[in-house]
Amino acid sequence: MKLKKLSAPVLLLLPAFVVLTAVIVLPLVFSFYSSFTPFRLTKPESLWIFVGLRNYVAVLSNWDFWIAFGRTVVLLTIALNTEMLLGLGLALLVNKATQGQRLLRTVMMFPMMFSPVLVGFQFKFMFNDNIGFVNNALQSLGVTDRAIPWLIDGNLALVSIIIAEVWSSTAVFAILILAGLLAMPKDPVEAAHVDGCTPWQTFRYVTWPYLMPFAFIAMTIRSLDVARAYDIVKIMTDGGPAKRTELLWTLIGRTAYADARMGMANAMAYVAILLSIVFTVYFFRKLAAARQQIGAEW
Amino acid sequence: MAPVTLRKLVKRYGALDVVHGIDLEVKDREFIALVGPSGCGKSTTLRMIAGLEDVSGGAIEIGGRKVNDLPPRARNISMVFQSYALYPHMTVAENMGFSLKIAGRSADEIKTRVEDAATILDLGHLLERRPSQLSGGQRQRVAMGRAIVRQPDVFLFDEPLSNLDAKLRTQVRTEIKKLHARMQATMIYVTHDQVEAMTLSDRIVIMRDGHIEQVGTPEEVFQRPATKFVAGFIGSPPMNMDEAIVDQGQLVFATGIRLPIPPRFVGAVRAGQKVTFGLRPDDIYPSGHGLHAGDAAAVHEINLPVTITEPLGNETLVFIQFNGRDWVSRMLNPRPLRSGESVPMSFDLSRVHLFDIETGKALGA
Ligand SMILES: Nc1ncnc2c1ncn2[C@@H]1O[C@H](COP(=O)(O)OP(=O)(O)OP(=O)(O)O)[C@@H](O)[C@H]1O
Ligand SMILES: [Mg+2]
Repeated sequence: MKLKKLSAPVLLLLPAFVVLTAVIVLPLVFSFYSSFTPFRLTKPESLWIFVGLRNYVAVLSNWDFWIAFGRTVVLLTIALNTEMLLGLGLALLVNKATQGQRLLRTVMMFPMMFSPVLVGFQFKFMFNDNIGFVNNALQSLGVTDRAIPWLIDGNLALVSIIIAEVWSSTAVFAILILAGLLAMPKDPVEAAHVDGCTPWQTFRYVTWPYLMPFAFIAMTIRSLDVARAYDIVKIMTDGGPAKRTELLWTLIGRTAYADARMGMANAMAYVAILLSIVFTVYFFRKLAAARQQIGAEW
Repeated sequence: MAPVTLRKLVKRYGALDVVHGIDLEVKDREFIALVGPSGCGKSTTLRMIAGLEDVSGGAIEIGGRKVNDLPPRARNISMVFQSYALYPHMTVAENMGFSLKIAGRSADEIKTRVEDAATILDLGHLLERRPSQLSGGQRQRVAMGRAIVRQPDVFLFDEPLSNLDAKLRTQVRTEIKKLHARMQATMIYVTHDQVEAMTLSDRIVIMRDGHIEQVGTPEEVFQRPATKFVAGFIGSPPMNMDEAIVDQGQLVFATGIRLPIPPRFVGAVRAGQKVTFGLRPDDIYPSGHGLHAGDAAAVHEINLPVTITEPLGNETLVFIQFNGRDWVSRMLNPRPLRSGESVPMSFDLSRVHLFDIETGKALGA
């Protein structure tokens, strides 16, 4: 009886709303609420104690949290810039290939096809100080005669993680920048040659402005990716040694499951999301500016 | 001083030859037009001169210096592309000043030269716009501005007017002509529009399938086409042509029409020879409505049926049936004609062209 009164559009949209509410809105509201409680998985009744902003105050005054936050930003900056340079180089090289370009493009994407967990395991093995491939190779080549403690030294461990990240995701930049190169009109480049540009100047003043929007799209995607980095780190170092590779999400995961402090972890997560939002907004601004620059019609 | 010389210039894409060893001397400050049908190799030739395509054989010299292996930037040329090829991320002023900036000129000098060029091309009010905010004609002028700001030795144009509407095209054509007078630079201009070629250039190069058919002044290629192809390509409406056989001092057409052979061909043809007979629409007219005062002795009159007429105001194109084909004639001071009406047509035989049927080469002196 009552259903009949609902108009057709409402009726048709209703299932979507119900599903979205059930799988997204409710968990979101619930997790947000729990960040205001001292909820522990081991003490379900603690969910009903409301403590206001106490968790947030604790998070913001927690030195470990800020170190993990800072380390995540550092990792993100180094990884993204490295990936961008390598991806750009790769895309330019592949774009030059006159034969077998399809094959190269496919091969280029291989690293993206592996689960990050497997990448983590593989690099953990490769960087193993005793039996790892990296030390073995370095020693055979005579670069060093001792075993470099890749995953045992704090700084080297972070470097190792960055290498694994870069290996697995440079393709994102390469693919997007290559798409830009393929879509780019040839005439302005030729005009630049005639106007007296060296190959480097042509790249700097003509090609690069075209590619910038594509690079920023890749940056946005990857910044979201790296800001929530968890799997590779979890497998390779689990935040160690002595928390020297602890990132935001490994810290949050540990707080939530190892320490079972769900309320606190949720508060951390909401602060961490701010980081992602800031990066996304930043890159979208850059993207919009770059698009406007080249008068892009997309 | 920048003459441009092509010696046995060849371009090959894999096994495919698209330019077959062409020779051409462009004098310093000359305006040369390259014309020919689509795909004949005009752009390829121009791009080799610019250094944007590798040379497969032969040599290119600019200002007496062989430039085959020099990159475009070392050739001191400017090129205006068919698609304009403006830098979309730069303003009009930046587009025009880009080459000077690359050459390391001072900001003041760049500003002065860009403003000078902008004045010539009437772009002053657009200097701060981006190419995407300009109309086609304005973009075209920016492309031209970018070329002149450099003050190069040689200008290369690849169909720069083909994206413009008819009115703008005429206007910019005049601009280019003025520009040539002002710049005193060598210009090579590719087009497939013969009106552009005729109006702009000192000499025209007619190309076909990667060969040069003829090089000559606009008058030469119009009045003395070296081949049947040139005769058909230059002139609008095109030259009327048909096959004929030489017989007893006359040209005999398939339907039996006979025309006397003009005196200047007498030694050049032999009896029984098959030739292509050509006569321009200007040289056929309803008697009394001709373009030329003409040499009365050379005018031959035949009654022919009119098929249709195309009035153009000051003149009318009259299509007549000649030897089973529609031929075009040009009627000045037109009077109305009916379809099917039989009209006495004057053929000015002093202006006949004859071509060898096999080689297509022009016969006679
Ligand atoms: N990259 C290429 N690979 C193979 N063949 C090519 C290539 N570029 C051009 N050609 C061929 O070379 C010939 C000449 O091309 P070109 O562009 O010089 O013609 P054009 O005279 O400028 O014609 P249009 O008036 O249509 O611009 C054409 O038959 C074309 O198919
Ligand atoms: Mg062309």
